Amino acid sequence: MKVLWSWLLELCDLDRQPTVEEGARALTRGGLEIEGITDLGAGFSGVVVAEVVGKRPHPQADKLTLVDVITERGGAATQVVCGASNVPEPGRKVLWAQVGATLPNGLVLAPKPVKGIVSPGMLCAEDELGLSEDHAGIVVLDDDDRTPLGAPAQRALGIEDWLLELNAPANRGDVLGHLGIARELIAVLRGKLVPPDVDLSAHLAAHLAAPLAGAGPRVDIVIQDPEACPRYTARVIDGVRVDKVGNALARRIAQRLRGVGVRPISNIVDVTNYVMFELGQPLHAFDAQTLTAGVIGISHASDGEKFTTLDGIDRTLVRGDLMIRDGGRGIALAGVMGGLESEVTDKTTRVLLESASFRPLTVRRTARRLGLHSEASHRFERGVDPELAQLASARAARLLCLVGGGQVLGDVVDAYPQRRTVPAIPVRLSRVRMLTGVALESSTCRDALERLGCVVRSSRGRPAEGAVEDARINSGDETFDVTPPSTRVDITREVDVIEEILRVVGYEQVTSTLPAMRQAPGVRPRDRAELARAALAQAGMAEAITFGFQSIERNAALGLPGTDRRMQPITIRNPMSIDQAAMRTSLVPNLVAAIARNASHGRPDVALFEVGSVFLRRGEGVSERPLHELADEPVWAAGVLAGRRPGHIGAGTPWDALDAQGFALVAIRAVAGDVRVRTRAVKTVSYLHPGVTGELVIGADIVGWFGELHPEVRNRLGVEGPAYAFDLDLTKLALAAPSQMQPIARFPGSARDVSLLLGEDIPAARIEDVIEQANEPLVAAVRLLEDYRDAKLGEGKKSMLWSIAYRAADRTLTDFEVDKAHENIVARLVDNLPAQRR
Amino acid sequence: MTDSDHALAELTIQQLDGFATEFARAIEPLVDEQSIRAVQAQFLGKKGKVGEVLKIVGKLPPADRAKVGAAGNKIKNTIEHEVARRLGELVHAAARADLARTFDVTLPARPHGGGHLHLLTQVRLEAVQIFSELGFVVADGPQIETDWHTFEALAIPKEHPARDMQDTFYVSEEIVLRTHTSPVQVRTMLTQPPPIRIVAPGHVYRRDDDPTHSPMFTQIEGLAVDEGISFADLKGVLIHFVSRFFQRDLTVRLRPSYFPFVEPGAEVDMQCSFCMGAAVSPPCRICKTTGWVEIGGAGMVDPDVFAQCKVDSEKYTGFAFGMGLERMAMLRHGVNDIKFYYEGDLRFLEQF
Ligand SMILES: [Zn+2]
Repeated sequence: MKVLWSWLLELCDLDRQPTVEEGARALTRGGLEIEGITDLGAGFSGVVVAEVVGKRPHPQADKLTLVDVITERGGAATQVVCGASNVPEPGRKVLWAQVGATLPNGLVLAPKPVKGIVSPGMLCAEDELGLSEDHAGIVVLDDDDRTPLGAPAQRALGIEDWLLELNAPANRGDVLGHLGIARELIAVLRGKLVPPDVDLSAHLAAHLAAPLAGAGPRVDIVIQDPEACPRYTARVIDGVRVDKVGNALARRIAQRLRGVGVRPISNIVDVTNYVMFELGQPLHAFDAQTLTAGVIGISHASDGEKFTTLDGIDRTLVRGDLMIRDGGRGIALAGVMGGLESEVTDKTTRVLLESASFRPLTVRRTARRLGLHSEASHRFERGVDPELAQLASARAARLLCLVGGGQVLGDVVDAYPQRRTVPAIPVRLSRVRMLTGVALESSTCRDALERLGCVVRSSRGRPAEGAVEDARINSGDETFDVTPPSTRVDITREVDVIEEILRVVGYEQVTSTLPAMRQAPGVRPRDRAELARAALAQAGMAEAITFGFQSIERNAALGLPGTDRRMQPITIRNPMSIDQAAMRTSLVPNLVAAIARNASHGRPDVALFEVGSVFLRRGEGVSERPLHELADEPVWAAGVLAGRRPGHIGAGTPWDALDAQGFALVAIRAVAGDVRVRTRAVKTVSYLHPGVTGELVIGADIVGWFGELHPEVRNRLGVEGPAYAFDLDLTKLALAAPSQMQPIARFPGSARDVSLLLGEDIPAARIEDVIEQANEPLVAAVRLLEDYRDAKLGEGKKSMLWSIAYRAADRTLTDFEVDKAHENIVARLVDNLPAQRR
Repeated sequence: MTDSDHALAELTIQQLDGFATEFARAIEPLVDEQSIRAVQAQFLGKKGKVGEVLKIVGKLPPADRAKVGAAGNKIKNTIEHEVARRLGELVHAAARADLARTFDVTLPARPHGGGHLHLLTQVRLEAVQIFSELGFVVADGPQIETDWHTFEALAIPKEHPARDMQDTFYVSEEIVLRTHTSPVQVRTMLTQPPPIRIVAPGHVYRRDDDPTHSPMFTQIEGLAVDEGISFADLKGVLIHFVSRFFQRDLTVRLRPSYFPFVEPGAEVDMQCSFCMGAAVSPPCRICKTTGWVEIGGAGMVDPDVFAQCKVDSEKYTGFAFGMGLERMAMLRHGVNDIKFYYEGDLRFLEQF
């Protein structure tokens, strides 16, 4: 809401005149946030109102005039050279930019010879003051202009003013007019409201000059649905002249409208907008001669009904839309926009003025559905006080007569089937004190409410017998019955009144205390995601956080089979871009894309992880259906590696799949503790290289995968070189119980090595399995010392050197015992793998 | 006893005494233990010089035996002492030589650790930690939420103008991406009777995209419901939080504002941690010289919300607040564009 400071002050009689900054602070403190203040007259300075007292032609140039001006009645005249053709006769006022004046283009005026005669400054045209593009002539003030001589030109131009940008809360329809804001200002700064002049006595038509065609003074109003239209008033003003320029008042109205960001249209339409910005009541003016039925009906549209709004667009209506009708014919969409056929035009001489109240929901639905957001609908959606209708109608009628030369025909016709009664709200002082935590006095509360225009009708009760005065707790049962002003449709409950009291008293009166510590039942389990994050960062990876949504294409880059839940992402109906159209079903694509992004910044070495939710449709099977239930949001951990490990002096060595496995194990152990994680080679993970994919298994559960990214997948996401990844479903991991201390090994163990020649395709895990299956109780640890491949070993062969540590808890082992256990294991390896001992 | 016997004893003693000089000269140039021990053996070994000379002791008269024996012990002691001294010297020399070694300690350090938690994670963990000191525990809820939990239960029905304040991503008519973490309030109150003290950090989504708004961002929600919870308690909790988070005594200003699910409602401003409200040069850009920066919204839980969540609003009162973690991190770490948080750009991530 744009607010003109001068307009606001006009409606207040404040105990002390505030500066605009003080006013803005007062409103902001009360909850009407002023987001900006613009000085409308800041464009120029040093330009004053001067009166022409004489003029004659320049002796050296035909087109120049020497003008004598004064800035003080009876003062000495100054001669200014002027090039305009419209220099007025003596007695009229012009705007003189004196020596030292600064103009909007930055020019600072100095005495300047013009064809041999020095001119002390200049007389200004509109464009020179930045008022318009007009350079047709100098500004000449109206002959009835009352601005004193010597006053700043801003005052004469009505721009000695400030524009305030007010951020109106969504529940405060009452502050969408200057009058409502004035009410707030007087509540905070103390003062009285100065209601606008609505006196129509000078404008009533004495008699009907002639029989009337079209809507006459007596219109009937029929409201079909009083819920949707609690009040409708109409009145007719006859004999108006529609005029684009208008008289001084019309120009002043137009100027104020421009100030609040509304384009002036004509004197008649401007008045309706002016009163809307003044009082907050939207109005509509119909050309009364286009109305023929003599009955204004307010009724719902029928489905498919056609209507042409005044912007010339044909609209198709639905049943919920509310129509204003002339008889049966639609003439306006209630509270949203008028119709083309009944619009006020240049030829209009009689207007029917609507001042009505419509239900917020009805207006909002229609405005939203048609995408028609007008100043009127904006206000109706937030609630317009039905009590305003008559006042606004009278105010507009008066102004219409003053600017359009019309007369009011008859009385206002007022259909008010649902008079809103404002019930008194009981408010307990004890509750005020408890909720705010402030020991407010009864008188303070009463004063605050009265300053807002509430009627505080009675107070009853007294402090309970023997009650101790305590700010925090109940200090008696004093109760107010508070009737808010009708404009404050947002105040309906005790708590609303408490907020009003606190607003006026000032939130800064609230001291600070801390609530007591209270134990809530239940213990929240440790957070898998936080455990994994901390461990992965500690292990040397950098954490990324990426958007929860991505393009459908990026999601599909995983190349999973169509039946996989991850290939049926939950889509957004109204995404801001196609890059945010689908909820992610995997953390991998965004991370792979981040490799490409970092590479483009010259950072090819990447070790990134993310721990976060992915979003999956519930249940199995392909689904294009819109989602009607919540999604599964399991927490996954994924990481990607590209380029090289951190180097020391010189580059590091390239990452490989086993780094991805190592980081995966770091995350798993952080959550699940020291569990046995088995690895098996699989070819089934579509986004990993079929020959370099490890599946991580705990017990019978597959908890994730690691490996090299599938070359096609990474190419699709813009990554050129090899890259590695892990992908873990953290919800599959059981949280580790606190680890229990094991006895410290007191007796030394001893190790034996075995070197094997075996088939290249036998995985390392197989050797560990065979050793485990031997079930040899003395085995304490198994380590791979060498994994060696060479053509000299023979086709398809490799050599592996393993070291097996043996230990007993209760004694030092003899060589005999160790050798026996070792030979047993070696024999099994040779037989089962099969392998040769080297 | 003859003179010649006597002379032999004298001669033997002289000979033994002479070994001292001879031994000292022999080991003088030696610099390793092995050679010194070899020379020692030449004198004191089984067939060493000292032993050879002392073989005549048996032929001497008893009176001289003692004198010669004493000389023999003396030279043995002298040699052993000399050996120990020289070996000690060698150890010291080796230690000195070792300490003379140098190494270029200005070479680059070998990298260890080197990982990074995301700035938002660090800020979230710290915020949760601070609130936990006041007895708040973490709660969470889904990011894909029902319209009911996100809006209706929070007194924002379908056609409410307040929905304009939060442009919503819709999944379907009834399912939305939550626009705030406030649905966690609803879920908590529906499942847990008061007393309640929760904080709920999490991602939220709004159709908004500019240098200070991201379509996904992170909020932290707080909710306390109990008997006797007041607006002053809300203010105290917020002051505690900003002061701990920014590590200086900051005050909080509550400014009347409207959120449908709290009444009274407030915008939360904190004292500008950059200029502390003082006039500085150049003028403070963070607070635009107002001395205050907006960090969130807050208020007392609206009775309508309590009613939806089956909490007795006569018996219990409560406060709720919500803040953007990106903004807190921006204020504390000078991040100047919200998009940096979500791009996975190591040039950003590695700074924290
Ligand atoms: Zn500042």
